[in-house]
Amino acid sequence: MAPTLQQIREQFPILGTTVHGKPLVYLDSAATAQKPQSVIDAESQFYATINAGVHRGAHELAARSTMAFEDARAKVARLVGANAQEGEEELVVTSGATAGLNLLATAFGNASLGRGGQAAQRFALQPGDEIVVSKAEHHSVLLPFQELAARTGATLLWFDLDEDGRIRSDMADEVISERTKIVAVTHVANVTGAITDLAPIVRRAHEVGAIMVLDACQSVPHLAVDFHALDVDFAAFSAHKMYGPTGVGFLYGKRELLEALPPANFGGSMVELAWMDQPAQYMMPPARFEAGTQPVAQVVAAGVAAEWMQGIGMDRFEQHERAIAKELLKIGDIDGVRILGPANDRDRIGTVAFEIEGVHPHDVGQFIDAQGIAIRVGHHCAQPVHRHFGVYASNRASSGIYNTVDEARAFVQAVAQVRPFFHA
Amino acid sequence: MAEIDSGLEQMYQEVILEASKHPHGKQTFAADLADEHATAGQASVTALHEACTTGQSHQFNPTCGDEATVYVEISAQEPHIIERLIWDGHGCSISQASLSVMVDLVEGQPVDHAMELFADFHELMQSRGRGLDDESKEEALGDAVVFQGVSKYPMRIKCALLGWEGLKDSMARALTASGSPAQDEA
Repeated sequence: MAPTLQQIREQFPILGTTVHGKPLVYLDSAATAQKPQSVIDAESQFYATINAGVHRGAHELAARSTMAFEDARAKVARLVGANAQEGEEELVVTSGATAGLNLLATAFGNASLGRGGQAAQRFALQPGDEIVVSKAEHHSVLLPFQELAARTGATLLWFDLDEDGRIRSDMADEVISERTKIVAVTHVANVTGAITDLAPIVRRAHEVGAIMVLDACQSVPHLAVDFHALDVDFAAFSAHKMYGPTGVGFLYGKRELLEALPPANFGGSMVELAWMDQPAQYMMPPARFEAGTQPVAQVVAAGVAAEWMQGIGMDRFEQHERAIAKELLKIGDIDGVRILGPANDRDRIGTVAFEIEGVHPHDVGQFIDAQGIAIRVGHHCAQPVHRHFGVYASNRASSGIYNTVDEARAFVQAVAQVRPFFHA
Repeated sequence: MAEIDSGLEQMYQEVILEASKHPHGKQTFAADLADEHATAGQASVTALHEACTTGQSHQFNPTCGDEATVYVEISAQEPHIIERLIWDGHGCSISQASLSVMVDLVEGQPVDHAMELFADFHELMQSRGRGLDDESKEEALGDAVVFQGVSKYPMRIKCALLGWEGLKDSMARALTASGSPAQDEA
């Protein structure tokens, strides 16, 4: 039987915390989601029962930990529609989405230097080539690809946004051209909460033979995501935003592309043959991209989180959070409150950024926090989208599966008191 | 209507709310970082005082993106009077009010006195809400003592210090330009 909301909430010990003497209302899941007890336990259980190095050593514990590690990869792969059979794996373990995107940009840079041989030339960039991003991107998308452009002499271009902060997918045919080699955009924007209309962008990118990279950090925790169905070439997301542990992320890549991609990090566990005077022969993916000791306990816990989400059902996540979004968006009716992003609940998630006329976000956040309600303030690692709206920073409330309509209403009520308190 | 938290009332004293709305010394001379067409780092001021050297410092709070560009003109001769102190930037009421109160306290004062106030204010902000033991120091700080309530909130201390850090750095630059390097008070 499907768990009730109350039963789901009871799985999160942190929701019993009080803040400033008031019960915690956690509306900052876009920054990091809270963890259910099963995820918290999974890490310590791993250390207590099967801790050993993975993909090295032949003793029994090493075998068990390797199986647990690969089993977790498969669980996460099932959640996002990626292949996981041995030899067909399409998920690379990273230390987070930022690391995944940097890995990709570095690998493209290495291909541009001729590394990876002929097969990697499809990733190579040179002056005259173009990389396309959008103004809605998190710095973790913008900066690695901006740096890649600077290193290779390629030109960085970007999609503009509409009034609601949505990526102008309708401009795909103009922005993406025969010169475009890489397109990197977000699936769901971390400030506006807007779901990108990806189809026109993916279609155009592939029409011109460009590599399509997706930032899936804010989509995987909230929506049913199937990378095969989306037909993107690469995608990055992080475990800690999907009810899993910190320190782990995943980079998805179509198998044939991962096989063609040169490595970005070098060291143990990614090489088949190493010599003093001959070129090294690197392993097949995903090992080729997983140099060094991996965060095994955290990966195992991330697998538990993915399985937990699937158990609840991503349809339920979408449906529940749409109801929360609807409530959060009611702040738009308060005098002096401006929502930065779509003001209605169509094609968006329950991540709602806003500014309050005459009150700086830091002060808004302090006031809201005093009510026991946690929201994010600042530029949310996305300065260009704030400039798009003509502001320096904003406030952001973001939902998770555990939020209640009452919590959302308490938040709206608190927002209504901000301007009177600051005499704005 | 939810009751207002007492720490919140202590932090946001009337003096702070008032000063943040009409801050002293604030002028427009630096790049507007909320403007897509601005150029970062661009700032220009025409010096007003003769026999002065100038110093400018850009301070940034990465937590919230608050920033302040502080500009000083300091007389080249001892006792190095702060003849002019202006700033540009944006931020929360704490940072804006702190800059405003700072201008009132140190403009027209010798650099040495400003550095003493800087040290006292720094100490106040490290006091975790307790204030300073030395009453004469609190007296010297004048309106700046209202920030005592802010010192209880570790995440907000940097807001109150943003302008003061800019003052210290810009004074050091002005003194270096005059050939009298700032003394390291640390």
